[in-house]
Order: sequence, then structure tokens, then C-alpha cells
Amino acid sequence: MPQMGVSVAEGTIVEWRKRAGDWVEADETLAVVTTDKVDVEIPAPASGRLERILVEEGDTVDVGTQLAALDSGARPGEAHPEEHREEPAAEPEAAPETAAHTGAGAEEPEAGSNGAPTDELDRSRFYSPVVRRIADKHGIDLDRVEGTGIGGRVRKRDVLAFIESGAAAEAAPAEGAPAAKQLHTESPYIREAGPEPAASPAGDGDARGDEAVMPAPAAEAGAERREPMSIMRQRIAEHMTGSRQTAAHCTTIVEADLSRVVASRRQLKETMAQRGVPLTYLAFVAAATVAELQRHPILNASVDGDEIVYHDDVNLGIAVALDQGLIVPVIKRAQRLSLEGLAAEIGDLAERARSGRLEPDDVHGGTFTITNPGQFGAVLATPIINQPQVAILDLEAVVKRPVVVTDENGNDSISIRPMTYLCMSWDHRALDGAEAARFCADVKQRLERWGG
Amino acid sequence: MAELTYLDAISDGLREEMRRDESVFCLGEDIGAFGGAFKVTDGFIEEFGADRVLDTPLAENLIVGASIGAAVEGMKPVAEMQFSDFISCGFDQLVNVGAKMHYRQGVAVPMVIRLPSGGGFSGGPFHSQNPEAWFLQAPGLKVVAPATADDAKGLLVSAIRDPNPVCYMEHKGLYRRVKGEVPEGDYEVPLGEARIAREGEEMTVIAYGSAVQMALTAAEELDESIEVIDLRTLCPLDDEAILASARKTGKVMVAHEATQSCGVGAEVASLISEHAFEDLDAPVRRLTAPDVPIPFSPPLEQAVLPQPDQVKEAISELLRY
Repeated sequence: MPQMGVSVAEGTIVEWRKRAGDWVEADETLAVVTTDKVDVEIPAPASGRLERILVEEGDTVDVGTQLAALDSGARPGEAHPEEHREEPAAEPEAAPETAAHTGAGAEEPEAGSNGAPTDELDRSRFYSPVVRRIADKHGIDLDRVEGTGIGGRVRKRDVLAFIESGAAAEAAPAEGAPAAKQLHTESPYIREAGPEPAASPAGDGDARGDEAVMPAPAAEAGAERREPMSIMRQRIAEHMTGSRQTAAHCTTIVEADLSRVVASRRQLKETMAQRGVPLTYLAFVAAATVAELQRHPILNASVDGDEIVYHDDVNLGIAVALDQGLIVPVIKRAQRLSLEGLAAEIGDLAERARSGRLEPDDVHGGTFTITNPGQFGAVLATPIINQPQVAILDLEAVVKRPVVVTDENGNDSISIRPMTYLCMSWDHRALDGAEAARFCADVKQRLERWGG
Repeated sequence: MAELTYLDAISDGLREEMRRDESVFCLGEDIGAFGGAFKVTDGFIEEFGADRVLDTPLAENLIVGASIGAAVEGMKPVAEMQFSDFISCGFDQLVNVGAKMHYRQGVAVPMVIRLPSGGGFSGGPFHSQNPEAWFLQAPGLKVVAPATADDAKGLLVSAIRDPNPVCYMEHKGLYRRVKGEVPEGDYEVPLGEARIAREGEEMTVIAYGSAVQMALTAAEELDESIEVIDLRTLCPLDDEAILASARKTGKVMVAHEATQSCGVGAEVASLISEHAFEDLDAPVRRLTAPDVPIPFSPPLEQAVLPQPDQVKEAISELLRY
């Protein structure tokens, strides 16, 4: 019974508005009490379940007498404990809130010493930023880490202990580190000064089929080593030499300022990564290329004898470097894909190419090829066309360079920009330099105005 | 090295500078013949004379204004507020004139305002405040808040030598309770550098003034690997030291006696979440006085000011998070 005025000593319950077992919100009226002066509504001091009514309607009690018990730890919709209880009254300690102590229980159990309710929440699947970062770095599946924090939360020390125990090292290769889906692609031109001696096909023509490693003649100055070419190597050699002999190769190079692409990638990268899509610069260049190929059909074509075949669909080949060579899986009908779609396809094809899971269909029907050996820092290349296509675009390293920029008032200044060279080899049988240059310029412009 | 109280260390620093540099003088209410409300300048008038130890009227606006004028003319005034609470009377001179002088006119204002702050002795709402956050909102002021006797001297000397107006927060509760070895003679502690008061790996407590000792005691009693950073200078904050420790431990609590909202703790917490988010293992926590005036009543005052047990509890809770 609350103190309702200085001179009031007792009150009478006129009416209970709630019954035992009812859910009540804080400040909702529980009961109406009358004193010798006025009728007063008694509000609930906190949200909870009205457990028991201790003073019946019509009864008069002194100020300070407990009227009812309210369980503020209960949740809406929970089974009412009264159903399982024999004894309705007594045990005042069990009732955490009483209507008489108006306001006393209304505080949130937030922090402080009363951490009990928060402790009970299952937080085992909540990961703090540092925990996520460490897990990403070490390729750890956090489901495997036991959390010792409040509510089973995985703390920084839990992940560190997991790594120290060596469990992470066992887990990592099995997981295949899906976060680190790095695209490793190379252009299809033959390496001229590769680590292996570039034996010419003519030189060991007679030795074909001989699988044994041929020892070098002892008399020769300097050691050397001979190995038969792998089947893939032989195919590449044939294919590249064939292309050189077939097409009239020319290379056009444009320089592109990737500032806007860099900004856009920074903005989108996280979100796409969360959806499992690695967003690389290659994806942006692919998107710009696909768009321009539709506007320049002569670049999305093949030469067949005396005829030029124009392709409606852009089937975009992406050169992927493998340990033993190179393969060019094809994104079919690339014109229907968004930037994210292209990035996802590139990621998927590269991944399947490297794990040997490409279907035969994946490597046929390309109408244009992009190659991207830029990760080693090379800035220019003259790629060889992937026959029977008429052009191949090479994306090299993105490098910060001082460039002259002109503002809208015509003032020049030097600025640091992420620059790259787009090198396109094209077949002079099918088109001429002006068309190639126009196409390259359009791709460049699309990249430079990205998002604008 | 001599063992001095925090109070004697302040006196020592001030005396050293007045002996070393003729342009240093002090002014304030009852600081001369009476030696100051807390006896910081006890014996000064005998040594330096009434020309360099000025007793002023009870007018903080005058004290601050006269200090600014003297500083602009090449003197180095050290003004005493009898209680830091009273600075509000000199606020216009401090934040609008003193703080902005260099920005507006390119003139240096090498002055120090000593601000005895803090509660714990039933001083009530006008004699117990920790108003340091006010000054952090006035660009042009520097703010220091020593926690040890050593820093009390070193920071005062650096503050006097600094060409900017410096608010020197001296916590009254530390005056006679804190003692320590203090280097004799010329001794400076650089402004803007925090101090690692205790090294640890599991979490960091960032504190200043009276909260430093509480954090250290709690860390000792809990016997956990807790790092304690003593900010020492509140403006400019030592971002580097704060972020380095946050990145190392991933869990940070900021503790101070001043009220919570828009305080030093808020600034430190936001700095950490902006620049060290990826290293955090728990939300940055503040342990401060609530946003209420300081009550006279001893039990109420105890309930308002952060207590050692609360610090300990908050630390354990964050450790468990």
C-alpha cells in the first residue's frame, strides 16, 4: 500500500484490474485503492507477470503493506508458474518486486552488480570485431572455438588460445580458407624467359613421346635439365604459335585513371565479401569491356576464312594461371550480368579452374578474352589473341602515378592517381587501328567515369 | 629525489620556476599572507615579496583577465582559483579572450590557471566539481591533470613554460594522500604524453587524476593482467598511447571522477571506436560520476563519486565479457 499523502495511514482495495497470472506493462494500473480522501490508481512498478494478489478487494491495510507480487524477470507468453505451484501465498523473498515499493524495481538491470539476467542470454554466436579479424586472418571456423565469456561469448583470449593449441592449423586447410579467394590470372602469351628452359618444338621433335628426362651432355659448359612438356604446355605452345601465324597482331595501349573504380571497390568490397564475392579490379574492367563490346560488335567477332562472324552474346574468356600452365574459362552471355554477377562468375571460374573442376563446356565458345597478370607489378604487355577471337585485353598492375589533371576552369595540377595501362592486341585482318583505339578509349572512359 | 606530497610537489614546481624565471608570478585569493586556501603558496610571499605573490579581490574574472594581460605583455602568470568551481566566474576571459588570443591576433598567452578540483570531503555542489571537460570544448586551451607527485611538479613546470593558456587540474583529494619521489631542481614532464602506469595484456583502464590510484589498486587486488594508462594531459590527448593500448588489449574502460556526458571518457571512447574498432573485443566502458551535482551528505556523496569497489567490479565485468 503506497504512501498516498502525508496524513494517510491506510487504504482499501476497491478493485483489482489485473488477476494473478496476467502480464502487466510498467505503469499500467494494477488496482484501485480508496483512502478517506480519494480513489487512487496503483500503477505497476515494472513490467512483468502479476504472480500473486495478497490483499483482496474490500480489505483495508496499513500503508507499507505488500499488496501483490510481481515477477519482473518473467517474459510475455511464458507459462505461468502458479499452475505448477501448490502454495499461493507466503515466501515474500521469492517475489522480487512488490507493488508497495513503487518505483523501486523500475530500474533496468543493465550493468552494475546486477548482471544476472544479461548473463543468461546466449551470446555464443556474437563475435567482436577483433575476434572476427583474428579468425579471418587464421582461417578459423569460429563455430569450433569454445567461448568462455559471458553467455558463452568467444573472447579474444579464446581465439588466441585456440590458435596456440594448434587446433587452428589443423582446421585451416580443411576449410579451404574461403575468405581468401584470390584471383590469380595470367595472360595467355608464352613466357619468354621463364624459369624452365624454353625448348623449341622443333628441337626435340624426334624425342616426342619419350617420357624420360634426358640428361644433359656432360661436356656442355653450365648444367641444364630437360623435361618433356606437359600436355597442357604443348597445347598452349601450339595454340599460341598458331595464333601468331594466323592473325595480324597489333597492340593498342591506353592509360586509365582508376580513381573512381578504386573508390567504388572500397565501398562495395566489404558487402560483397560478406556475400562470398571477391570484388577485384578485374571485375570492373570486365564490366566496362562487356558493355563496350556490345557497342563495338567488330571486337566481339571471329574471322572465318573470308567472312567475319559477329556474335550476339558476349562470351567473356578470363585467363587463369595454373601451376602447370594456363586455362581460359568462359563467362557465357556476360552481357546479362551486373558487376557483382561478373565478380561472382570470375571468382567461381577461377576457383574451379584451380581445383580442376571445370566442365569441358566452361572453356569453349569465348568471343573475347581478358587477361590480368598485373599482380607481379608488370605495367605493359602485348598479349597473343586467343583464336578464333579478334582481340584480347590485358589488364596490368594498378600503380599510383603523378598525373596532370585539369579542373573545370582549365587549371592544371599534378595529382596522385591509381593508373593502369589497358593493352589490347587485335587482329588487323578484322579491324583497323582507329576502331581498336576507339574501343579502348570507350572502355577507359567508362572506367574513369565509373558510377558517375 | 625527495619524497613529497602531491601538494608539496606543486609548491616545489612553482617555487622552482619563480626562482628560475623572473617573469613568473602568482596571483589569487588569499594566496599571499594566508598562503592559499590549501597552503600551496605557503611562505611564498616571504621569499618572493608581495609584487610576485599577489592577493587579489574575490573576482575570478579579474584574476583571469589580469593574467591574460600580463601574459600578453611577456609575463608568465600562475593564477590560482581557490576552487576550480569558481572558474565559471572567469569563463568569458578564459574561453573567449585567453583561449582565442593566439588565433585572433597571433599573440602567445603563456599563463597557467591552477584549479583545485574534486570531491570526497562533503564540500557540496560548489566546492567539489571536476570541470575539466568544460575546457576541452574551448579550442586554444591546454588541460593537464596530474595523478602523482612527480607529475604534479613536472606538468606544472611544463605548463608554465608552454606558450598557451594551460588549465592545471589539481585534485584536492590527492593533496596529502598521494606521496612520491619527486626529482629536485629543474624537472619537466612533457605535455601531451600519457604514461603507462601499469602494463597488462587483458584489458586497459584509462584514467587521470584521482581515478588513476583507484585503477591501480583495483588491478593489484584483482591480480589480473590489467594495463593502466594515466592520461596526464587531457588536451591534447595522447591518441597514440590510447590507441596502442586499446589495440593491444581489445578491452577498455575509461574511469574518471567527473560527470559522464560529453566528458573525457566519451572522447576517449569515441576515439577508440573510430580508430581501433577492429581490435575491440568488448564495448568501451565508462566508469564516472553520474550526471548530477555533488551532494553535501557524506553517504550521498559516496554514492555519486566512483568508489574503489565499483572500479574493481567494473573491471572484473569487462574482463569476463
